[in-house]
Amino acid sequence: MRRTTRKRLNLGLLYGVFVLAVVALVLLADWEAINKNFFDWEVAKGLWPEIVTIGAKNTVVFTLISFFGGLALAVVLALMRLSPVGPYRWLATAYIEFFRGLPALLVIVAFGLAIPIAFSWQPPGGFVGAGIAALIVVSSAYMAETLRAGIQAVPKGQTEAARSLGMSAGRTTVSIVLPQAFRIVIPPLTNEFVLLIKDTSLLALIGVAFGDRELTTFARDAVVSTTNSTPLIAAAVMYLVITLPLTQLVSALERRQQKAR
Amino acid sequence: MTTRLTRTLATGAALALTLTMAACGSDDEPSTGSSGSGSGGDEPTVQTINEGTLTVCSDIPYPPFDVMDGATFTGFDGDLVNEIADGLGLELEVRDSGFDGLQSGLSLNSNQCDLVASAMTITDAREENLDFTDGYYDSEQSLLVPTGSDIQSIEDLAGKKVGVQQGTTGKAYTEENAPSDAEIITFPSDAEMYSAIKGGSVDALLQDLPVNITHAEDGQFEVVETYSTGEEYGFAVKQGNTELIDAVNEQLAALREDGTYDKLYEKYFSTE
Repeated sequence: MRRTTRKRLNLGLLYGVFVLAVVALVLLADWEAINKNFFDWEVAKGLWPEIVTIGAKNTVVFTLISFFGGLALAVVLALMRLSPVGPYRWLATAYIEFFRGLPALLVIVAFGLAIPIAFSWQPPGGFVGAGIAALIVVSSAYMAETLRAGIQAVPKGQTEAARSLGMSAGRTTVSIVLPQAFRIVIPPLTNEFVLLIKDTSLLALIGVAFGDRELTTFARDAVVSTTNSTPLIAAAVMYLVITLPLTQLVSALERRQQKAR
Repeated sequence: MTTRLTRTLATGAALALTLTMAACGSDDEPSTGSSGSGSGGDEPTVQTINEGTLTVCSDIPYPPFDVMDGATFTGFDGDLVNEIADGLGLELEVRDSGFDGLQSGLSLNSNQCDLVASAMTITDAREENLDFTDGYYDSEQSLLVPTGSDIQSIEDLAGKKVGVQQGTTGKAYTEENAPSDAEIITFPSDAEMYSAIKGGSVDALLQDLPVNITHAEDGQFEVVETYSTGEEYGFAVKQGNTELIDAVNEQLAALREDGTYDKLYEKYFSTE
C-alpha cells in the first residue's frame, strides 16, 4: 500500500468515526420527546422578558459584585502573601488554603444559614447579601493565588529600575508591578469570572426572594409553573449569550497585547 | 486538492455506512432475544428499567415521608414502597433526587426511575407530564412559626418573610393566598428551610402539615394554621406506563385491605 493511500485511509477512518457518531446520536435521540420537553416555542416566548429583566440581570449583577469584591480582596491577600512581615504572610496563606479547600456551596450555606443560627445575627443584604459575601470570600482566595503568580512573573529588573529612579516601595508596587501583573493574569481572571457567573446559581440554596432569582433559579421556577423543561434550555442559551461575548472580548484584548509587546 | 478531499470523504462515508449496518445488525439480536425471554414463565409481574428491581426516586430527607435510616428507605412513603416492591416481587432501589426534576417528569422521562415516591400532591399541572397512582394520603398545608410569634394566620404575613419549597403545592398556595407584600423566599428543600427559620432569616414556613408537625415537636415552633387543599399525594410514573400504575394500585388496595396501610398511618400520623 502506498504511503499516501494509507494516510488517506487513516484520515477517512477518522472522518468515518465522526460521521458515525453524529448519525448515531441523531438516530438514537427521541426527537419528539426532545421537542416536547425542551424546545416548546410557546413556553420559551412566555419567559420573555423576565428571563432578561430578572434572571440574566441578577446573574450579571451578582457576578460583577462578587468578582470586583473578590478582586479587591485578592490584591490585598496577594500583597500580604508576598509581604516581608511574617504574620501577614501566615494569615494570607491560612486564609487562601482554607477557602480554596472548601466547596463554594458549603461556604454559602455557612454564611447564609449557619451564621444566623450561631450568632442570632442577620447578615446585611439578607440572603443575597450573605451569598454574595460567601462568593467574594471564596473567589478572592483563588484570585489571590493567580495574582501572586502574576506579580512574581514581573521581571525583577522592573522593580530595581523603579527603585533606583527614586520611587518608594509602595509607589513601585502600585504603578510599576501591579499593572504589569494584571496584564499577565487577564486570561486566568477571565476564567474566574466565567466560573463565578455559574457559581451565582448556588445562591438559591440558602433561599431566594421573587425579585432576586438569577438565571438558574428563574428557569427552575419556570419549569414548575409551565410544567415543561424548555426554560432550562432558555437559561443555557442566556448563559452563553453572557459568557461568549465576554471570552471573545478578552481574547481580542490578549491579541492586542501580544502585538504591543 | 478537491479530489483528494472528496475521495477522503467518500472513503469515510463508505466506512461509516458499513459500520452503521454492522451496528444495526448486532443491535437487532439482543432485542429479539429479550422479547423472547420476556414472554417466559415466572418473571416479575411488571417491566421495570432494571429487570427485577423497582427503582424509586425521592427527594430525601422529607420527614416523616421520606427518610433514609442507614441504607433503608423509610418514612411513610418509604415503608409503603417497600411493601409495594415486596408485593410485586421486586428488589427496591432508591435514588435521592431534586424535587423539581421529579415533579416536572424529567427524572421519569430520562428513565432514572420507575416510580416517584416523594410526598407529591396530585395536581392537574403535574398530570400533564406524569401519570399518578391512586392517592395514598390527604395533603394539607400548614403555617409554622416560632412559638409566641405575632403571626397567627396567613394574613399576618404582610411585610414578613415566609419560606416555601421550590416547586411545591405550598409555594403555589402561598403565592395565591398570602398578602401581596409578604416576601416569599424559595428554598431547594426542607433542610434549608428549617435552618433558615431556626436562624431567624425567615419568619414562617408554609408547607405540608406532617413536615411542620415534626418541626413543632421540640416546642420551639408551633403550627398556627392548617389549610385543606382537597388534594391527595400520589406516586408518579412515566406517562403511559399503565402497566406499573395498575400494579401499584393493586398493591395499594391490598395494603389498605389487610390493615398494613392503617398500621403505617398510625405509626407516622398518630394524633395523640
